[in-house]
Amino acid sequence: MKWVSLIVPLLFLVVFGVALFRRVRLYDCFTEGVKEAVPLLLSIFPYLAAILILSSLFTASGLSARIAAFLTPVYRFLGIPPEISPLVLVKPFSGSGSTALLSEIFASYGADSYIGRCAAVAYGSSETVFYILAVYFAGAKRKRALPVAIALFANFAGVILGCYLCRFL
Amino acid sequence: MNAIFAAIFFSSCALFLFSDPDGFLAAMLEGGQKAAALSLSLLAVYCVWLGFFKVLDRSGISSHLSRVLRPAARRLFRSDDEEALTLACGNLTANFLGLPGAPTPLGIRATDAFLARDNRFGADLLFVLNATSLQLLPTTVIALRLAAGSAAPADIFLPTLLATLFSTLLGGALVFATAGRQKTGVSPAKRRRLGRRRA
Repeated sequence: MKWVSLIVPLLFLVVFGVALFRRVRLYDCFTEGVKEAVPLLLSIFPYLAAILILSSLFTASGLSARIAAFLTPVYRFLGIPPEISPLVLVKPFSGSGSTALLSEIFASYGADSYIGRCAAVAYGSSETVFYILAVYFAGAKRKRALPVAIALFANFAGVILGCYLCRFL
Repeated sequence: MNAIFAAIFFSSCALFLFSDPDGFLAAMLEGGQKAAALSLSLLAVYCVWLGFFKVLDRSGISSHLSRVLRPAARRLFRSDDEEALTLACGNLTANFLGLPGAPTPLGIRATDAFLARDNRFGADLLFVLNATSLQLLPTTVIALRLAAGSAAPADIFLPTLLATLFSTLLGGALVFATAGRQKTGVSPAKRRRLGRRRA
């Protein structure tokens, strides 16, 4: 998969090359773009902080572990190994938290085990929904529940399918 | 969001009261710490990508690209706002290629642009497509499996791609299904075709 690492450098090379050819002042132009970085960060920062504090409470209080234990029969019924249920639960809230859980699962069950593979697919095929919500809709006056519910449901359905596929792929 | 925030906050707080009262503030501060650290790394990412995007813009490449993608994007997001559509197309492309950090600034601006024209459908669809992220290669997972001593770290590629393709299509379809009352001017069959082309 070495060719993948070529994407980014080639992308920059081509774009900057074309820009130079079209007589764009590269330095002035680049700095003009960077100027927007701080305002953009400031606009999302409060939401970012609230979500990360909430996700920290969610895991540190043991609430996520309790809900995961409570949901075990449901997961078993749907064909998701119960061992990965904390990961599935934390992923929508926290990228770093779920990365830590994924490494833990790899360490205790092995990266090539069925559980390890399911965890990898569950991690790779779902997204940090609440984080994206906080950041993208930072400017919106009213946040609506429907798109969030759709995103969570679709990700969960993807995890179920992923665990099923892991049995024979 | 307010309801979810309150529900999780109060139940975690109650658990802390019984198990570990000292841990409460520590956990919140840890979250704040993470926010501060993440902001710094995001700022670094934004510096690089926003600079790059400005050059991309001025080079004229982005307007070429969006001219090609516009007819499909216009129907997909139900918008005539050229700027928003260009940003949204860029966001989806960056997502698909898995350029780390690049989709976010584009997504934020595209969402703002959609909402400025009161196009909630476009903003919702873009959010759902991002939140069910279709990615060509799950680089983080492969790196973690390699570190954990996996014999074939990339062999989860196919199930992950199929699962995320399924979740993206399902999410997109649900957004269309629940936004049924708005007029689209696009037949369901055509919509499906557009959806497939995007994915």
